[in-house]
Amino acid sequence: MWTLVRQESFKLTRKVSTWISTGFLVGVEILFAFLSRIYPQTFVPANMFESLYFSRPIIIFYMIAATATIITMEFQYGTMKQVLYRRYSRGQILVSKWLAVFFYTLYWYVMSTGIALLLKAMLFHHTLSIHQGAGDGMSIFTRGLAISAASLVSLWLLLSVVFLLANLFRNSAAAVSVGIIGYFAAYIVTQLLTILIQKWDWAKWNPVTMTLYPSMMARPGYYQSLLNMQGWQMLLGNFIYIAIFLGIGYYVFNKRNV
Amino acid sequence: MSSILSVQNLNKSFGNKHVLHDVSFDLKKGHIVGLVGPNGAGKSTLMKTMLGLFNYDSGSIKIAGETVTPQKHESLSKVGALIEYPGIYPFLTGWDHLQLFADGDHQLIHIQKIISQLNMDSYIKRKARGYSLGMKQKLGIALALVNFPELVILDEPMNGLDPQATKDLRDLIITESQRGTTFLISSHILSELQRLAQDLLIIDEGSIVQQTTMHELLASQGKQTIMLMTSNDHKARQLLKKAKFEMTPDPRVEVIAKDDNTMPEILRLLVEGGVDILDVQRLEGNLESSLLEVLKQSRIKKRLAEEEAE
Ligand SMILES: Nc1ncnc2c1ncn2[C@@H]1O[C@H](COP(=O)(O)OP(=O)(O)OP(=O)(O)O)[C@@H](O)[C@H]1O
Ligand SMILES: [Mg+2]
Repeated sequence: MWTLVRQESFKLTRKVSTWISTGFLVGVEILFAFLSRIYPQTFVPANMFESLYFSRPIIIFYMIAATATIITMEFQYGTMKQVLYRRYSRGQILVSKWLAVFFYTLYWYVMSTGIALLLKAMLFHHTLSIHQGAGDGMSIFTRGLAISAASLVSLWLLLSVVFLLANLFRNSAAAVSVGIIGYFAAYIVTQLLTILIQKWDWAKWNPVTMTLYPSMMARPGYYQSLLNMQGWQMLLGNFIYIAIFLGIGYYVFNKRNV
Repeated sequence: MSSILSVQNLNKSFGNKHVLHDVSFDLKKGHIVGLVGPNGAGKSTLMKTMLGLFNYDSGSIKIAGETVTPQKHESLSKVGALIEYPGIYPFLTGWDHLQLFADGDHQLIHIQKIISQLNMDSYIKRKARGYSLGMKQKLGIALALVNFPELVILDEPMNGLDPQATKDLRDLIITESQRGTTFLISSHILSELQRLAQDLLIIDEGSIVQQTTMHELLASQGKQTIMLMTSNDHKARQLLKKAKFEMTPDPRVEVIAKDDNTMPEILRLLVEGGVDILDVQRLEGNLESSLLEVLKQSRIKKRLAEEEAE
């Protein structure tokens, strides 16, 4: 299994897009760090640090694309046959791709957090402390980590859907569009969601609500009452939906003719 | 001799289109087996099913005694394959591909050996994006051989290869088979297959029409012909026709040999008839005509069986 994960990671490291996007992300972080230094009123340093200098949406978009292509490129290049007719079972192949994407997600979060810390140390050495309070007994550093963890979980909810669609359609355009729509869906329909949830409490358990988990981590007081949910319920809901979507994807992948 | 691959009563459909009908055969260890049949006969489908790429309706596929299904196929560790066209990642070099798919340690020397046997040294470190058709094909063949397979399945391996590469490949296949590797090769380039394969599987409309050896097939079709160059071809043909020798429709003088007496008989006839003989050649039986004959016969038989059934 680790051989397979290593092989998937090897392919990722050989793609130019991996390094270009890494460079792009670092560039964006530097840009927002400087903006925050020059215009601290508009780009409040504490908030900007908490948001990892605007990295998270970029990570989400990039991971949606990377997840779709890790499946669809094998169909596009005709390499799926070669990947499959080895001693490894289909299940192992798919799980190795999940794991590779998981480690890839970790790479992005760890890297962007590291860069954010570095930028903070370089540009805000005396003006901002990572131990500065951010409400609810959290510092901006721990709050940042909590948001990152929540964003990683709900990103994986999107990725589990992207995996499923990439397997169904063998086409990254479809999978990527649905992933990105999924990302915005929650913000677009928050109004509607809250109306529904006030009418029927069980409606809160739908997958779109679950993608609001990072927002809840950023503003717990506001979202907890709005959605009538606790953080742990959100976490549980995310895990359940991730398992369901990955499970369906696994079933589809095992059944298909290649 | 034990069989490395055994297929029994294999049936495969795509939706309601029945593509493989009760296919059964065994491959003997160390043999080079040709899989031949018309376009759409089911060669690639059969190979893909054997490799666990397709689900099948019924029957069994065993490699070294272990069953192969799309879900579980550990025995494929003994198999290398190239199906239809090689899958190539444009962003990797040829070397990266070989390393990516090579299992275990101590592979570098082996990889290097395959590369030089197939003459790929000059471009193996370049990104595959820029490879020509034949370069990609060679890389696909190298990938099929990289893990010391006991069974190698090649679908149209000579596709796009130049004469030198075709010869390199032939030499490579023969050396490997002498070491005990079994090959199943489908190809429409029959002259090449005739030089390579010992056994033949003939498939048509999803059924195995005949499993035979190359030697038997060529002999059974009795297609040994004698080709003559004479001072007067026109007269020679007339003489031969009058003496009731069977001739091919070829515009040259070609006689079908029935037995060992044919050659002296026609030589005497022509010399006595005043025709000088400039050159004589015995043509070996030819796979193309034998194959077409077998396919024709089997289709006739099948039509008759169908009519009877009605
Ligand atoms: N994925 C598929 N879905 C539906 N039908 C298919 C599929 N693949 C192959 N077939 C059908 O199965 C039959 C056998 O096809 P196959 O590709 O095995 O032929 P082949 O013997 O390899 O032919 P060729 O010499 O042209 O390569 C054909 O009638 C083809 O239309
Ligand atoms: Mg084919």
